[in-house]
Order: sequence, then structure tokens, then C-alpha cells
Amino acid sequence: MIPALAHISDAAPRKRSGPRSLARRTADAIGHAVAEVLENDELASSAGLMQSLDPRIKLVSVLVFSVVASFVHSLPMLLVLIVATMALAAASRVSVASFARKVWSSAGFFGLLLSAPAATAWITPGEILVSLGPLSITAPGLVIATRLIARVAVGAGFGLLVVWTTRWTDLLRALSAMGVSDLVVATLAMTQKQIMSLLRTVENMHLARESRMLSGGTARDNRGWVIERMAFVARRSMKTADDVYDAMLSRGFSGAMPSLVDLHATTRDLAWVIASVAACVLALGVDRMVFPV
Amino acid sequence: MTAEFVLTDVCHTYGTGLDALDHIALTVEAGQHVAIVGANGSGKSTLLKMLDGLVFCNAGTITAFGHPLTEETLEEPAFRREFRSRVGFVFQDADVQLFCNTAFDELAFGPLQLGLGPDEVRARVAEVAGALRIEKLLDRAPYTLSGGEKKRVAIASVLTMRPQVLLMDEPTNALDPRSQVWLLDVLDQWKRAGRTVVIATHDLSAAAESCDRMIVLSEEHAVVADGAPEDVLAQRDLLLSVNLIHEHAHRHGADRHVHPHAHEHEHV
Repeated sequence: MIPALAHISDAAPRKRSGPRSLARRTADAIGHAVAEVLENDELASSAGLMQSLDPRIKLVSVLVFSVVASFVHSLPMLLVLIVATMALAAASRVSVASFARKVWSSAGFFGLLLSAPAATAWITPGEILVSLGPLSITAPGLVIATRLIARVAVGAGFGLLVVWTTRWTDLLRALSAMGVSDLVVATLAMTQKQIMSLLRTVENMHLARESRMLSGGTARDNRGWVIERMAFVARRSMKTADDVYDAMLSRGFSGAMPSLVDLHATTRDLAWVIASVAACVLALGVDRMVFPV
Repeated sequence: MTAEFVLTDVCHTYGTGLDALDHIALTVEAGQHVAIVGANGSGKSTLLKMLDGLVFCNAGTITAFGHPLTEETLEEPAFRREFRSRVGFVFQDADVQLFCNTAFDELAFGPLQLGLGPDEVRARVAEVAGALRIEKLLDRAPYTLSGGEKKRVAIASVLTMRPQVLLMDEPTNALDPRSQVWLLDVLDQWKRAGRTVVIATHDLSAAAESCDRMIVLSEEHAVVADGAPEDVLAQRDLLLSVNLIHEHAHRHGADRHVHPHAHEHEHV
């Protein structure tokens, strides 16, 4: 006799219709996020221009580039800097299309949101280009807004180049070598690891739910389930934090996190520094002399 | 033989009021390979954490290397340093144990905490990584490693401290067959080096293969057997009563019979 537990329903499973369930969408999104991090490590390990630089020098030079970009006024020069980020991306084996998409979909969008008011006659009076009812876009306002967006795009581009061409482990090493407290660096490393681990847990929870659901569930059910699972993940996170602390104590942790950072600058890094300084001077010089404010 | 750990009438109760260990009395001698076996929730992991000074008893006493092992004594820097350098603990969940930036940092963490110089630390990392064949993993972040690789790095992170006693919680858990064989080889090398190993497991075959002493914990958290693995494993009724084996029906052609069957995997 077949026990009730093993009884197979005679009814054919109902076919799903309509959009994908919340569980599936969330699991896919998390899987995508995790895969992106892992792929990023692969890209950062490939043989490209930016990848070959010492992470400390890369970090400092990109910071300087971003600051320089904020002092550049002329739109042509900002355009040159935007093109420069793309050229660096190409030289670093980064897909220029995905690089541009990422920069403009995030930095471009937020830059637009922030700078849009500056383009209006309320904030920047001047020659009116377009009027939409009470809203008027002025010529000087448009220049200011475009300049702001371009600066954000340049900064975001350089920032993204560092993130995409530097492994997280090297980035933390660079921070450590640059004098950031070992405890802070260790906390960042643990946070990254914990986030990855919890993302996997959440992904599996959603997939487990998906595998036992015949319909997408009501919005109310989904909300309740997500809230309950969030509480579970929070509890699990705290338990893991306790266990990690025990593991640290077990290996002699006494409050300090000394590390052996082993980074060496090469002649390539020196050449990069010289080229970077020259590029910054040139950008500011041309901006001031050719396009005076 | 020298007694490395002596537990006398040790009891432990969780904050929730649940009993974890009930009047445990045992001695672990130097060079012994001990398997603590028991069903899920029998208190194996708690006992192991107690031997590592991470959990403390509510009643009874524990001494390690002739010194009382308590929260207070572990506050003393000299004893803490000596104890931590002599006892290594490999956690059941390798993810918990790998908290550093890279596998290299994991292996270097313990020696650095012990105050060793950079050259000595690098030498130890290179030696252990070579022995465990994980040189290629040293530059990688722990979260990018597979389950077996994480376990190797977790074990290596303890071995770089060159402990006298190795504590391992469910060492074969989540390992594929090849990694299990590798682990048993590591334990065998450890045995030949005269070091002490205490493992907590419910994998009876791994315990029998790698240990020369088996301690059985009941589901009531008490020691119910302590002896050579072959003697303990011969006590079928005892193993049935503590839920380490179960009656299992098998069909061979037209015949169907029942015989004891061991749990070899975590029942989640």
C-alpha cells in the first residue's frame, strides 16, 4: 500500500500563466547580483592597462582625476575627459558599451535629477530656449546642468573603472597599505563575505518557495512572507556574526588585526603617475586658456 | 602519557534552559585520536567548543595542559597565548571560519595574532599551503572558493598555528569523496606526527578509520561508551539506542530483511 506521504496527486499540475512570481524574480535578481560580483573578479584579474597598476596608485590617481574634473568648466574639455574614461575602459578590456550604459544609467540619471532645477529660469535666468507652461529652460541654465551631469559622469566613470579593474581583495590591500586601520579593512572584508553568504541564503529561500508554489501568490501573502524571511535572515546574520567571532577568538584574536600587505610599485606605475600628472595639468591648462570662463 | 584535557563532572545548560552536556567526565591524553560520536543535538559541538575555551561549563571543572580552563584564566594574556597556540579548532561550517580578505590572510591570521614576525608567518603559510596543495588559492577571496576548497583553507588556517591539539567539528561534512580521502590522509599524517586530534562526528566510518578511541554521547547528553572504535561499534544495541544506527529494511531480489544502518550524512 502506498503511504499517504508518498501519494501522488492524480490532478495534472496547473500551468503557470502571467508574469513571473515574486520568488522567481527576487531569486533571479540575487543570482544576477552574485554572478556580477564573481564576473567582476574575473574582469579585474584579466590583463588590461588599469589591472596592471598598483591598486594604491590607481586609487589615488583616479581620485585626483575626479577632483580635477570638478574644476574643469568647459563642456568640450569635459567631453574629452568622458572619452578618456572610455578609452581607459577599452585599454583595460572592459566592454565600452556596458561601461557607458552603467555610467549613464546611474550617474547620468542621478546627475540629471540633481541638475534639472539649475536649467530652469527660476534658478538660472537668461535667454529662454524652451517654455513648457510655467517651466522655462534657459541657455545658461542648460550649460550649467550639462556641465554638472558631465562632471558626475566623469567622476562615476573613473570610479567604475577602479571598481571593475581592481579585485576587492586588492582594493582592501590598497586601503590597508594607505594607512586605513586594519580593523576597518577587516570589517569591510567580513561585510562583503557576509553579504555574499546572505545573498546566497536569500536566493535559496526564494527558490525553495518557488519550487513549492503553483501560483505567484497574492501581494499580501508575498509581503508577509518577505517580512518573515527578513527576520529570519537578520537572526541568522547575528548567529553567524557570533560564530565568526568565536572562530576569531579560537585563532587568538585579541582586538588587533595585523596583516601582511605585499604591494610593490613598478616602473609601469611610475610611468602612469607621470602621464596622469601631465594629463591633469594639460586638462586644467587647456580649460583655463582655450575656454576661459 | 600526559593528560592534555581533564573534564570532571562537567555540565552545561544553554541560556534557554536546554541541557547540552550532562555530568561529563573524560581525559584526553597527548597523542590520542579521539572521536566524539552522537546523534544531532547530543552535545558534541558544545563539548568541542568547551575544549577550545569558547563555551564554559555551568558545573564541574576543565583543565587544559594542567591549568584550569575558565573565562577568567583565558583573560590572562600569557595563558591565552599559550592555550591558543596549542589548540586549533576547525569549525563545522568553513564559511564561519573564513573571515579574512584572502586565503593568504586566513592562513596568516593565526600566526600574526600569536605575534610572529612577517618572515616566519610567510614561511608557515608557504609550508602549509604547499602541504595542503592550496598555493593557487592563496590570492583568492574565500567567498569565491568551492565547498571543498573552503574546507582545505579552513584547516590550513589552523595548521599554520602549529597546534598541539586539533579539534574538528564534523570534518567530513559537505565534503565530496575525494576531499574526504584527502582529509583522512591529513589526519593520518597528524597522527604519525604524534599530535592530538579530537573530532566530533556522526560519520561512524570516518571516526573508525581515523581514530583510536571513540566516545559516544547519548541523546540525553551523557557519555555512554568510551573505548576502542572496534569495541564501541560492536555494541549494536547501544548504537541503536543513541540513534547512531537504525534498523533499515533492504530488499535483495525476492528477500527483504532488516539490519542496522549508520547515519553518514547530516540529517537537516
